[in-house]
Amino acid sequence: MVTQRNRLGTITVVAGLMVSTSAMADTLKVGVVGPMTGPLAVMGEQWRQGIETFMELNGDKAGDTTIEVVYRDTTGNPANAKQMAQELIVRERVQALVGFGISPSAAAAAPVINEVQIPTFLPHVASPALMDASPYFVRLGQNIATNAEVAAKWARESGMESAYVAVADYAPGHDVANAFKPAFEGAGGTVTGSDNIPLSTVDFSPFAERIAEAQPDMVQLFIPPGAQAVSMVKAMAARGLMEDTLIMGQGEAEDSDIHLFDGTIKNFHSAIYYSESLDNPENEAFVGGLQAKFGEDVLPSTFTLGAYDSMALIYALASEMGADFNGDAVMAKLAGYSWASPRGKITLDAESREPIQDFVIRRVEDVDGQLRNVVVDTIPQVHPISGS
Amino acid sequence: MASAASSLTFILLYGVSYGLVLFIISIGLVITMGLMRVMNLAHGAFAAIGGYIAVGVMTNFGIPFPLAVVAAVAGVVALSVVLERLVFVNLYGAPELDQVLMTIGINFIVIGGLTIFFGPNVYPISLPDYLTGNVDLGIRNFEVYRLFVIAMGLIVVVGLWIMFEKTSFGAKLRAAVDNPSMTRVIGINVNRVFIIAFGIGSGLAALGGAIGAGMLPLEPYYPMKYLVLVLVVVALSGFGNMRASLAVAVLVGIVDTAGRFLVPSFGGFIIYIVLVVLMVLRPEGLFTKRAA
Repeated sequence: MVTQRNRLGTITVVAGLMVSTSAMADTLKVGVVGPMTGPLAVMGEQWRQGIETFMELNGDKAGDTTIEVVYRDTTGNPANAKQMAQELIVRERVQALVGFGISPSAAAAAPVINEVQIPTFLPHVASPALMDASPYFVRLGQNIATNAEVAAKWARESGMESAYVAVADYAPGHDVANAFKPAFEGAGGTVTGSDNIPLSTVDFSPFAERIAEAQPDMVQLFIPPGAQAVSMVKAMAARGLMEDTLIMGQGEAEDSDIHLFDGTIKNFHSAIYYSESLDNPENEAFVGGLQAKFGEDVLPSTFTLGAYDSMALIYALASEMGADFNGDAVMAKLAGYSWASPRGKITLDAESREPIQDFVIRRVEDVDGQLRNVVVDTIPQVHPISGS
Repeated sequence: MASAASSLTFILLYGVSYGLVLFIISIGLVITMGLMRVMNLAHGAFAAIGGYIAVGVMTNFGIPFPLAVVAAVAGVVALSVVLERLVFVNLYGAPELDQVLMTIGINFIVIGGLTIFFGPNVYPISLPDYLTGNVDLGIRNFEVYRLFVIAMGLIVVVGLWIMFEKTSFGAKLRAAVDNPSMTRVIGINVNRVFIIAFGIGSGLAALGGAIGAGMLPLEPYYPMKYLVLVLVVVALSGFGNMRASLAVAVLVGIVDTAGRFLVPSFGGFIIYIVLVVLMVLRPEGLFTKRAA
């Protein structure tokens, strides 16, 4: 009895192995690693929406290859990122990674990725120097130095003479300040004040007061989205800054986040590479698919878009390359790769592995009683600014 | 830089209004910790739940703000009384580590619950029109909302003062804080005093969470995010010292505001430097009489 059951068990295991090996040939496993829970859970949630929207619209077949997605949660802690990436690679045998909510997590996982040469698609992390950490990183967002430079040039062209730089006191904030100042001053403007706002700040009115006293023409802002951005905008509005000063940020007023603010967010400008209001067939499919699956009032963010475009890229590569999908081949193919994204035409710069794409200047306006980002200007095909 | 006078009025007005929100949120913990010696690190969770209830009934049922605040306080008082009987009663006299682990655990449950039901993002409050905009105080413009917060803070101060100094419940409470076993001996039902005090403390947290939501945005991590500030106030106040906690909260508000305004890069540290210095000099609390 016992031996019989053992033999049966062995047969089942062997059969199972055969099935899984034969399945592996035409299945491509994609590991998604990021903050699915914890303080950064918004990112993970929006990635999931982007990925599921893409798969709803395109099915799970890329050519002859079946795409399978496996998620791992870092809870937003870089210490987990490496372990989770390792687990996905070793145990789940994923062939591509989509991931990392913050740049330090991506940097932490880079050694593992380099070791096994897994192409890794970064939906949004934005540290300029990050791309040096791994030759297998592909950026689908931008590096924040690019936004800051676009903002500085656009503000100067719009006649802004003096600027105040108010950024959160951590690496991305410093990156923005360091890119904005030379760009604005190089174009003939003056930076009259600059504050690094501690991340522990709860009441932002002291910073609004400092800005108001300096009376700049414009403010370059960089504050983490969510509670901090909401509080900072409220504090600036209470000081009248939203009305008489050009306030420019990056990701503070994502389309999906505008409802977190009250009317005070009106007139907030962002220099960024996407707006849900863009008029092109790819964007129509993306936003339409998202809302059909997750509800009429769900709006995309650059997080949603980055995950969606990561999948678009993986599908395209998987159907073109089939069984030849591996790190070095993928990276070679991606140099100069171009496709139509909901954001418009996007080309991966061969050298930096970052997108060449349109930037938009958006402004929050009241559109039929609803606060929406409205595109006020487009800067075509901006090349990424070298980070290192 | 504008004139020194304008900077000073800014620091005072904004510091006091910020301090009073901290006071309303923290005072409940000062009371319950002083009374029951329970290190309730889940106190911020009651503030968060209060805020979520207030905003929830406002946005879903169109209930006006004042009634929503009442609903928040009532809801949290009811919840806290149940929790006191089920959970906190087991912590009285338990080792501090048990208390810390248990109440931190409650925090994580609340954070997880808020994320499941309301999403991981900020839960936005839209204040009624009469609380938005600015009012001209003569010396400078000031937010109506912050004036309202100051007024509410003062109402809470006066209300607590009357309750503690002028009612027989207040006398029993003070007796129970000073010497629980002696209070029991003279026939006062200390357990009942505990339940009521716990309810009041949690209700005040809910009040702070609800009316402070315009300044401290509601989000699932609220219970952890503001815990440090609350603990600063509690630590500097000393056990059960309510009068001190008002002064301490306002001091924290003013020091924090002044620090960030005058030396922004170090602004985040100044309050902790003050905390360390004061804790070294006056470990029993800022205004506590030293034991002879």
